[in-house]
Amino acid sequence: MHGLVLDLAVLWIAGLLGATVALVARRSSPAERILSLDTLVLVLVGLLGVFAAETRETYYLDTALVLGLVAFAATLAAARYYDESHPS
Amino acid sequence: MTVGGGVMIWIVDALVVVGLIVMTLGVAGIYRMPDAYTKLHAQSKAVALGVVCLLVAAMLRGEWPASLRGLLVVAFILVTAPVGAHVVARAAWRGGEPMAGERVVDESAPER
Repeated sequence: MHGLVLDLAVLWIAGLLGATVALVARRSSPAERILSLDTLVLVLVGLLGVFAAETRETYYLDTALVLGLVAFAATLAAARYYDESHPS
Repeated sequence: MTVGGGVMIWIVDALVVVGLIVMTLGVAGIYRMPDAYTKLHAQSKAVALGVVCLLVAAMLRGEWPASLRGLLVVAFILVTAPVGAHVVARAAWRGGEPMAGERVVDESAPER
């Protein structure tokens, strides 16, 4: 029963990941694209959390931490670049 | 060894389900909202809190002392999500992205 819940959770969050990829690929403004990329990594961190709960390994949480760190730096860099790419 | 016993695993299930629901609502919000500023609401609040629920579930389920590092991830996400949202919103505003809606008022507009 509990294993089934976690299995379905992995499936569901994989679908969510696909929806977010479609969101990134969709034609939209630069800020919305940066925001979608940030969401993509957040969903990935959630997937790693579900994996950690399912396998009871804590190594996935290390990966999640590093991924969150890189995503934060990437968001800052992309937003900064977009900010300075137009004369104010 | 893990904390609790028979009850804990139900709490883990409940946290996973709640986290998934909140995250799904957040992604749906990003699809539905009309402009970048309102999309940031769905992204930085709903999705981040859903991820926090999932990470707490993983923390409760893992081996006890080692799973405390989940707390680190939770704290990191709770700190960085608002900062990232603010930076993106500032870039969008300075980039001149329009606000959707008929009667919106951009109160910061004269300073631009």
